[in-house]
Amino acid sequence: MTRPQRPGGRFGADLFASLFQESLDPAYAEAARRRAARPRVPLWRRAAGRAVSLVTLVAVGLLFAVAYRQVVADEPESARVRAGLADEVRSRRAQTDGLQERADRLRVEVAALRDAALAGEEAASLRNLEAAAGLAKVTGDGVVVRVADGRDPADPVTGAPGDNLGRVLDRDLQDIVNSLWLAGAEAVAVNGQRLTATSTIRAAGSAILVDFKPVSSPYEVSAIGPGELARRFTDSATARRFRRYVSAYGMAFDVRRRDDLTLPAAADPQLRYARPQGAPPTPSAGSAPSAGPTPSAGSAPSAGPAPSAGPAPTSSPSGGR
Amino acid sequence: MIAVLALVAGVALGILLEPSVPAGLEPYVPIAVVAALDAVFGGVRAKLDGIFDDKQFVVSFIGNVLVAGLIVYLGDQLGVGGQLSTGVVVVLGVRIFANAAAIRRHLFRA
Repeated sequence: MTRPQRPGGRFGADLFASLFQESLDPAYAEAARRRAARPRVPLWRRAAGRAVSLVTLVAVGLLFAVAYRQVVADEPESARVRAGLADEVRSRRAQTDGLQERADRLRVEVAALRDAALAGEEAASLRNLEAAAGLAKVTGDGVVVRVADGRDPADPVTGAPGDNLGRVLDRDLQDIVNSLWLAGAEAVAVNGQRLTATSTIRAAGSAILVDFKPVSSPYEVSAIGPGELARRFTDSATARRFRRYVSAYGMAFDVRRRDDLTLPAAADPQLRYARPQGAPPTPSAGSAPSAGPTPSAGSAPSAGPAPSAGPAPTSSPSGGR
Repeated sequence: MIAVLALVAGVALGILLEPSVPAGLEPYVPIAVVAALDAVFGGVRAKLDGIFDDKQFVVSFIGNVLVAGLIVYLGDQLGVGGQLSTGVVVVLGVRIFANAAAIRRHLFRA
């Protein structure tokens, strides 16, 4: 076959040129020419053709509707599930916060009532013990250690996530907390979560949980302690290691003295096995009247699965002492 | 006018009857939609050009859908289904755009 003369001919040499020029099927023009040559088409044939093309149009509409339904049914299924879960997480978190707030309020009330009931000296010694154990709000001078993840080395072109070596791990927070205890801190909190002798700092996936509550970068470890706490911590091996991380991996780390720090009380420890001497038989009955029935009962199930996981993989902050 | 009504009737039928696509044909629905769009735009343009032909429209619709589906099926069998459907979408998309431009010129003289 020879090359056709006209560039816009039916079998144009240039595929793309013909693609752009002949957007309309050439057969339409052909059919029009045929019709012009033979103008008398019987009426029934025209009517039949009309009907068939209408049926085709109905089919096209059907196709659109089916495709639309399919897209709606398929695609957002996972998104819906995800959004539902996220909503649930948010509402549960808000619920937990509300319960925690209520527990704190009730605890303050209980403390006030107990102070009124007990003789002055006993109440004072109890308060001191509570403060030392992390069960009461404390204030004092101390340091704030701030660590934050290094920048994510994601590929700027492909957006593929790199291996972020500057990410703060649960081990890092544990080390900081332990060296703060070692440097003489009397009360420590991570992002406003007070630590007690049984607190845990652990990782779940890429999130860090302090006492099973997620905390996120930047992490602020506040500690109340003696005047030389900042100096002792800055000189510690842990701080040296973190300064090395700063230069090597871009992690953020700084230690600052801060006056008049206020650390909140930790959540009530749930006694599961031990029971106070001379108290009513069940430990939960012993703690229930102090915190009121609802908050402690509400928070109990969430801490329920903890005991087996708690002590195993992490060192509690008191381990560094 | 009647054509538009027929199209709307088809959409309404699809919504009311909720026909289900056999699982084996599901991957071809999107490509069939693109092919059908091409046929519809071609038909509208031909109508505006005054050379619309019922038989040509029907044949182009059926042919478009079948060939597009066939190409994608073939691609799936060869392991290049994604690329081939991209190719089909590009070619049909170019035609849809060109026809839409011609329709626009007809309607708005611009």
